[in-house]
Amino acid sequence: MGLVWSLRLVYILLPLYQLGEQPGEYMASATDSRYGQKESSDQNFDYMFKILIIGNSSVGKTSFLFRYADDSFTPAFVSTVGIDFKVKTIYRNDKRIKLQIWDTAGQERYRTITTAYYRGAMGFILMYDITNEESFNAVQDWSTQIKTYSWDNAQVLLVGNKCDMEDERVVSSERGRQLADHLGFEFFEASAKDNINVKQTFERLVDIICEKMSESLDTADPAVTGAKQGPQLTDQQAPPHQDCAC
Amino acid sequence: MAIDFNLSFLKELERERVLEVLFRDQTLQKAEEERIRKLKTHLQQLRWKGAKSAAREYQERSCARCQKALGRLLNRGAVCNGCSHRVCPECQVYRCNIVWKCTVCNAHGEVKIKTGEWFYEEREKKFPSAGKHETVGAKLLKSYQKMSKISVVPPTPPPFSEVTPGYNSVELGKSKNFNKSVENIFLSLTTQVKKISKSQNDMTDKFYLSTDYGKSKDRRKERRSHSDTAIHIASELKKSPSLHQLIHKAREEVHEIRSDPSQETKETDDPNKTLFFGSLKRSSMTSINSVSTDVGSIDNANVTGEIELAITYNQKTCTLEILIKACKNLAHGEEKKKKCNPYVKTYLLPDKSPSSKTKTSVRKNTVDPSFNECLKYTVDRSQLETRTLQISVWHAGRLKRKVFLGEVFIPLEFWDFEDNSTKSFAWYQLKAKPKRTEDLTLQYHGELCVRLRLEIPPFSRTFLYENLPDGTDVRHFEVVQLHVVIKSASNLSLRPDGFLSPFVKSCLVLTNKQEVKQKTPVLRRQPCPEWNHTMIYNITNPSDLRKSRLDLTVWDQGLNERFLGGATLSTGEDDSASDCHQSAHLLWEQLLSTPNEWMEESLLLQANKGIFHF
Repeated sequence: MGLVWSLRLVYILLPLYQLGEQPGEYMASATDSRYGQKESSDQNFDYMFKILIIGNSSVGKTSFLFRYADDSFTPAFVSTVGIDFKVKTIYRNDKRIKLQIWDTAGQERYRTITTAYYRGAMGFILMYDITNEESFNAVQDWSTQIKTYSWDNAQVLLVGNKCDMEDERVVSSERGRQLADHLGFEFFEASAKDNINVKQTFERLVDIICEKMSESLDTADPAVTGAKQGPQLTDQQAPPHQDCAC
Repeated sequence: MAIDFNLSFLKELERERVLEVLFRDQTLQKAEEERIRKLKTHLQQLRWKGAKSAAREYQERSCARCQKALGRLLNRGAVCNGCSHRVCPECQVYRCNIVWKCTVCNAHGEVKIKTGEWFYEEREKKFPSAGKHETVGAKLLKSYQKMSKISVVPPTPPPFSEVTPGYNSVELGKSKNFNKSVENIFLSLTTQVKKISKSQNDMTDKFYLSTDYGKSKDRRKERRSHSDTAIHIASELKKSPSLHQLIHKAREEVHEIRSDPSQETKETDDPNKTLFFGSLKRSSMTSINSVSTDVGSIDNANVTGEIELAITYNQKTCTLEILIKACKNLAHGEEKKKKCNPYVKTYLLPDKSPSSKTKTSVRKNTVDPSFNECLKYTVDRSQLETRTLQISVWHAGRLKRKVFLGEVFIPLEFWDFEDNSTKSFAWYQLKAKPKRTEDLTLQYHGELCVRLRLEIPPFSRTFLYENLPDGTDVRHFEVVQLHVVIKSASNLSLRPDGFLSPFVKSCLVLTNKQEVKQKTPVLRRQPCPEWNHTMIYNITNPSDLRKSRLDLTVWDQGLNERFLGGATLSTGEDDSASDCHQSAHLLWEQLLSTPNEWMEESLLLQANKGIFHF
């Protein structure tokens, strides 16, 4: 009889135990690499943008990315080794845009690897921690890195992360905004933990890359600047080439 | 700005981790290149369609795109600013009120955006010397290969749903059965046995990187799922207590397997592979996971019955609702007792975490349960396009013992949530666990169809390989001929223009490292080549053949020869050929054991050039 009861007890407690064992912190990775396969083989999108997240160590780059890509958050700090990326496809301005978001290690010793990735990125999220003065002071350096290693039209958003920790704030919003203005970046304060402004940051970055994209297209071909369809051309013989030379 | 760095400064574990990311990136790049290629081909077709050519006569005034006649006064068309061709109004695409381009110029611009070409062009302004498309990842991989002087084999695909590991396997078709490759079964069994012994107190974990969040999290999840099924496995084990028997059983399931016991451990022992040990181990863990959930289905494979359900999406609340109405003709969960307590469980794949699981309540003692329950997921509409709904029916036995009764997969990618007909209830046939359904296309590099025959003079038919391995019984045979007919190849990776000039190199590597090489002719501009070319190798010492290997590699003859893929035929006894496919092993074995008979086989091509001789 006692045996039956203890077995029942196990039966009851086991699921409870399992429930207790799944705090938010590791839900993230359940989806982590599994998504890779499907996402990477999926070709059903219009554009692919590459985005790089940079900033000092422990400002929350990885958390920011996890929040955006998987809508998950883990309070535990695990240092990123070198580089990592996630893929997310979003629907924006009637287009399906696939984002390959590179998460970089903030630590100095990985710098050779991470800077090598600057060149492939169309846009950057430069992140600091509003509770960490040092990370804010480093923004200038990071911006110089971008200028050095990236293309000239690199789009950068400055993000002050951890804005949920108002009590420990050492960098005021105002200072962040001023610095962003000074550097010519757009500015957001965000929190990966409380999911504040995460989506907005990425969407804004996507939008400004889109803008750059259509700009480059317009300046690259003469159609816009010399929009002539007037009669002066009508009697000219069309050049003999067979396809567009644009 | 040359990139002259490598990964040498990293610790080995870090390097592993970075390499894994690099390979993941490489997979993504490949898919992207494929997409770009398609876009460009499409553009090319559009150009050809409209292009005027000298060979044909045109009316003096006609649209350059659709060749429609244009008038002098009315309907005179206009000149496109992109290409300066005169086109009719139908072939003008307006981007805003006054700015327009002809269809081709417009498509050209679109392709430029879609392929990301605009970015590369802009970037070139700053880094003119930089290669346009070569990515840092590719460079790093190259430098790494140089550094370690080994051929880097693509690692396991990221564990997606029930993807099976196979760190260098490109397996399809026939070899599909081997996906649960023997060494993994071996590994999983040993680990499981270890786990069962401790499963009640949910064992502690020892052997993982502590710096690795991904793995550590995976591990914890998996661990739980082991304990879920641990009891079940234990009961399985009771039936056939010895590990050896278990392996044997698994082998029978994987039919056609060879009975060479040294085979199981060989692949994992290969020192070259230790490099990916981390990822290997992890994927083995995943395979345990899938194996252990499969366990329930092993003893009742006879899945029957149907499930009635409806799927709707509520835009307002962003919820996906699955209305489970009923099931009929279910199999009995416990056949002997004729017991069945069914319930329905769903996952929104690829998410297999507990957060993705929903269940109905259990119905008692019925094979035709009616549920009328609604299972809900709060999920973004856009998210659904990458998801597949897995609906499985289970029997809830005693003590958490679960028995699999069948399942249905519903991909939501093309699901029309707006259509009323898809909202209504429908019956779905329940299916058994599918045979490994991972997406292999990414690793698939086409096939090569060959015919082989070993011709032996009649009096030396006694040439049977069991006499040969020890080499003591060396007889003097006549010359034996190996006939190789290279028939055709399919699904090769094409050049951007959609053409190929393929040919095949054949290299017979004999035991004394001597290489005998032959080539087929080059077929010009044929993406699906058929050579039907016969090669004959005269072999003076047939006993050599068992330890020889035949490497067939397919190439594209262009300015430079481009490697398209290769396949190795060998018995696998030679260590260097351990990458060889099982199907290729079998073919080679068959060839040696049944001389004077033609064997025909489609060989899967592998992309890791480094392992082949040519």
